[in-house]
Amino acid sequence: MTRPLFSRGDGLLLLAALTLVITLYAALWHNEGHGAEAVVLVNGQRWARLNLFHDQELEVPGPLGHSHIRVHDGRVRFVDSPCPNKLCVHTGWLSQGGEVAVCLPNRVSVKILAQDPRFDTINF
Amino acid sequence: MTTPIQPTVHTQRDDHLIAGFTALAITIHIAESALPSLLPGIKPGLANVVTLLVLCRYGWVMAAWVALLRVLVGSILIGTFLSPTFFLSAAGALASVLVLGLLAAVSRAGSPWAVGPLGLGLAAALAHMSGQFWLAYVLFVPHSGLLTLYPVLMSLAAVLGLASGLLTHTVLARLNSSPSKA
Repeated sequence: MTRPLFSRGDGLLLLAALTLVITLYAALWHNEGHGAEAVVLVNGQRWARLNLFHDQELEVPGPLGHSHIRVHDGRVRFVDSPCPNKLCVHTGWLSQGGEVAVCLPNRVSVKILAQDPRFDTINF
Repeated sequence: MTTPIQPTVHTQRDDHLIAGFTALAITIHIAESALPSLLPGIKPGLANVVTLLVLCRYGWVMAAWVALLRVLVGSILIGTFLSPTFFLSAAGALASVLVLGLLAAVSRAGSPWAVGPLGLGLAAALAHMSGQFWLAYVLFVPHSGLLTLYPVLMSLAAVLGLASGLLTHTVLARLNSSPSKA
């Protein structure tokens, strides 16, 4: 029984699978849109609202000390924070709407505001 | 003196075949589970080659038995029975069995659009991935960030599915033309 490796049905299926995968990339990898503004929260309260295209450095006071936040070229990040594990610093640059960096020990967080944020709320 | 009543189970040829093929699939399944995985949710799916072989040679009903029994017994032997891994695996197997059934029905008896092992392997892998992904999304990690991973996982599933289809084709070609009478 030698059947051809590649039948017409296989070709149709391959085409369908290719279309499906490409559609998935197109549908799920859409750009969230570049955020233009960010908000800094301390203890859950809004501490500052930042224009991401106005380069600046901020010292945000929290219970442990000052968290150093930098705004540069449409992006924002934690540069330093008086927390033990520096997860906020390792989060790196944020630029897309809805992105968040949080320093839990110092109770400081930065969130990019977006026209159409992807999440209403995030629970950790 | 009374003779003890011995319960007997009458098994048929198909039962023996299902048992044998399932044992083969479980062996591959367990050997494969020892391999480290590059990405969660991704594995070569070599055990599915057995499902495809049974489907091509003995039909969908036996293939469904082999696929679902393999997941059940494999999970009991590995120790993941009723764990999240098991449910993900079962959802994937169920989805792929259903899709294979659909394709088997479509490509019945010399239809010009009959789907061969290559197409079956591809479809089974994509269905398996979708089944386990959506269960993971709905049940375990309902976070839309997970959706970003879906196209990547589907691409990898497509490649691995084609590979398993190719393997099935090779094995089919090497087997004798008619199904053996066991």
